[in-house]
Amino acid sequence: MAAADLNAIRATIEGRLATELAGSPAIPVVFHNMAFEPTPNSSFVQCLVSFGANEYLSQGLTTNSQNRIIGLVVISIFSAKGVGPGANFVIGKRIRDLYNRVIVSGVFFDAATGPEALLSAAPEGYFQTQVRVTFESIEEL
Amino acid sequence: MATIRGEQGAVQFDAAGSSNATIVGTRSWSLSTTKETLDTTKQGDTFRSFVGSMVSGSGTVELVYDPDATGQAAFLEDVITSADTADATFELFTTGTSADTDSAKFNGIITDMEITSTVGELVVVSCNFITSGTITLNLQ
Repeated sequence: MAAADLNAIRATIEGRLATELAGSPAIPVVFHNMAFEPTPNSSFVQCLVSFGANEYLSQGLTTNSQNRIIGLVVISIFSAKGVGPGANFVIGKRIRDLYNRVIVSGVFFDAATGPEALLSAAPEGYFQTQVRVTFESIEEL
Repeated sequence: MATIRGEQGAVQFDAAGSSNATIVGTRSWSLSTTKETLDTTKQGDTFRSFVGSMVSGSGTVELVYDPDATGQAAFLEDVITSADTADATFELFTTGTSADTDSAKFNGIITDMEITSTVGELVVVSCNFITSGTITLNLQ
């Protein structure tokens, strides 16, 4: 038992996406705090992992105790503008299936939300949807 | 003055009553201690009077279920001990795990065990117990 390694949790989440999107057809994926220059009229994915509120799960202070670590993965899917949502949703399904109710390496993913279309994309010039998945991990001290 | 939060608590238990060990994953515990009273009111009295009599206790321990957590299985499964001789020892701590400090200590019997699995929630277990014999309170 040890304090949670947040980077290990992040690696579990991001690694799963990177592996999937490296497969055919490959889609560029960018994560937090990384420089990226998108190619116009092509698809790419942005994955942002955030840790949120944690809570006590059991008694015991710093030994023989458990915490619940809660987080959110927001995955934005950018695709060419003006050609309908089909291509975007194909990527969205790949991503949704990747996390939907999956338990991997001690990370419990909830039912995925989306892909949900956004009215204005950021960066502009793309059609953007979002898949959001809350997750939790149990820290055992 | 020092207030105490629930997460400082702990539960120790030993089914055989020889060496208490901390149960990992307890979420809460409660102990209710009751003293019976005997009515000593006599004819001619205006006000009713009582003396204290037998003391008994009961309570609940709630756990976040983990089949691998130290001490959980022995605790949960004590409910199926037939002809239970009440040899199991409990020590419920308000804070820390130092024996006979900030705790209630007693022998007891687990009378109910309820395990609940609900979509979207952690599996939790609730065990009710009654005390048997002396209840030692170290809550000062």
